[in-house]
Amino acid sequence: MSERGRDLRIYLPVYAIVLAVYIFAGWRSASFFTWNNNVNLFGRVTPLILAGLAQTVVILTGGIDLSVGSMISVASVTAASLPYVDTPANLVLWTLIPPLAGLAMGAVNGLLIAKWPFPPFIVTLASSSVYLGLALYILREPGGEVSLDATLVSSGKIQGIPIPLLLMLAAVAAAHLLLSRTRIGRSIYALGGNETLAIQSGIRPDRVKFFVYSLSGLFSGLAGAYLSAWMFAGDPLVGEPYVMNSIAVAVIGGSSLMGGRGGVLGVVGGAYIFYLINNILNLLGINAFYQYIAKGAILIAALAVSAPDLLQRLGLGRRGSE
Amino acid sequence: MMGLWRKIPEGWRSLLGLWAAILLLFGIGGMISPGFFSVSQAGAIFRSASFIGLVAMGQTLAILIGGIDLSVGPLVSLGSVFGCLMLAGRDENNLWAISAILLIGVAAGVLNGVGVSLLGISPMVMTLATGAIVTGAVLIYSQGAPTGNASPALRAVGVGFTWSIPNSVLIWLALGAILSLVLKFTTFGRGIYYLGANETAARFSGLRVNFIKTAVYALSGLTAALTGIIIAGYTSVAFVAAGRDYPMQSIAAAVIGGVAMTGGRGGYGGAAAGAVLLCLIESLLTNLNMQEPGRKIMNGLVIIMLMSFYYRKRLDAASKKKAAT
Repeated sequence: MSERGRDLRIYLPVYAIVLAVYIFAGWRSASFFTWNNNVNLFGRVTPLILAGLAQTVVILTGGIDLSVGSMISVASVTAASLPYVDTPANLVLWTLIPPLAGLAMGAVNGLLIAKWPFPPFIVTLASSSVYLGLALYILREPGGEVSLDATLVSSGKIQGIPIPLLLMLAAVAAAHLLLSRTRIGRSIYALGGNETLAIQSGIRPDRVKFFVYSLSGLFSGLAGAYLSAWMFAGDPLVGEPYVMNSIAVAVIGGSSLMGGRGGVLGVVGGAYIFYLINNILNLLGINAFYQYIAKGAILIAALAVSAPDLLQRLGLGRRGSE
Repeated sequence: MMGLWRKIPEGWRSLLGLWAAILLLFGIGGMISPGFFSVSQAGAIFRSASFIGLVAMGQTLAILIGGIDLSVGPLVSLGSVFGCLMLAGRDENNLWAISAILLIGVAAGVLNGVGVSLLGISPMVMTLATGAIVTGAVLIYSQGAPTGNASPALRAVGVGFTWSIPNSVLIWLALGAILSLVLKFTTFGRGIYYLGANETAARFSGLRVNFIKTAVYALSGLTAALTGIIIAGYTSVAFVAAGRDYPMQSIAAAVIGGVAMTGGRGGYGGAAAGAVLLCLIESLLTNLNMQEPGRKIMNGLVIIMLMSFYYRKRLDAASKKKAAT
């Protein structure tokens, strides 16, 4: 079966919508296509993409990670609590510690889910409460400081290319290569597609699960560090919206919550759609209150159209459960 | 003694265990701080449990059919905000305002049900989207700054007592008992369990799967909106964020009470005890002067601990298998 053809069927609608949204925004506002506006856009959409990557790798195995938001918060307050002196050593600390904190928290999730028969939904629901407590313990209110060198992560440029764009492309490329070119990547899809079959073909589900939840923690940690660089401060509640937004982005990006179907290439598109909808509604001068309704309706429409067996559901025909 | 314990059916055993834990925690609370073991303290705990418990009624049904309802939070907010605005502190508005809000709750639930059953959208995302729409409705109707007050009659429901039991608790007990009976003794109730256990089999055996799903989400919308109205009576003024914690707390109550996330197993009695346990622990930790960070951490640890209690059989099986290989 052609894998490429299947990928195309998943991603084509996503990017067709992105293109349409993009053209529409450009048509409504002359400044939309300017380089500055797009640089700004990369900067804003990057944390959502990182959170979407975190969620997608887990969703592909048929799991879910509700602690993404709290892990982002912990990484953010950790980044803002590190010493505020611009030395190369500090910059190294700043780059390493928040993502590693995320990795550690993700590993705890992974251990609980891999070693015990607990549903991921409950484990990550419980751990998100624990991690939120941790974030509040580190920093009770938004504040702290981020060293100036570190803030370059969100505003700097290398050879004229904005660092957020590089970061986003590197993260997506790394996750895509991991999923499509490595054994663990194939195991992730196999496990999400059919756990029994995966076990029979020699895949160790515990290892795969431990791996994806750890990876989810790492991406969340990166998102948290990035957010604190963007805001110049830490915030123990900054991650909260990212729980549901990351799920929405993963699903709009073509990944099925049942697992086994989708990938990270859709995440960029999903995040852009999610973010640009806001942008467009603003451009159209729609009251912020109505934007909630528009967003909900667009989400439902997008998901209904991309549901794999919509026709069978509305008409007749056999369909699998679960 | 142990023989007698084994004779009790599994479901009743975990229910008894939960209530024993609740009594134990009450006792511990009483020993630690003298004011804890009092009727007024128990009333306060049970009142907040009744709010979570009412929302957990619909949530339990949704989880039993293998779904989930994240729109209950915005619907609680809607009940609270619309309640105060529509009632405007007058009893003559009671009938139309409360029926209108309950109808909106049902309508939102039907939207969830149609999205999940006919459009095939996964429940988590569908109820999230509906929740966004409901939040929009709340903000538009209140212009972001809710005004108005609960009516005197609603105030009486929210803060009043009958035989020194808070009225909201009595309503909760009555509705909870009805729900338990419906789940046990009606075709609809059995259909819910059957659907949750195996959807394909349920479909092939002629169960009206789409109808049951839509009815379940409609009931969930109804109980969430009702909770919002009662909360409006308790606080008297409305908050846009009134429902913020309810999705996760109602799910936690159901899970602590032994309702399986995969669907088809558990009952409402457990979820109700779960709601009491959650509020009791929160109150106990507050009494111990534990700050919010510590409470959040304890909350998560308790859920994990109770989880291992329900999965201990499968834990045993897993460790035996490991020992054998």
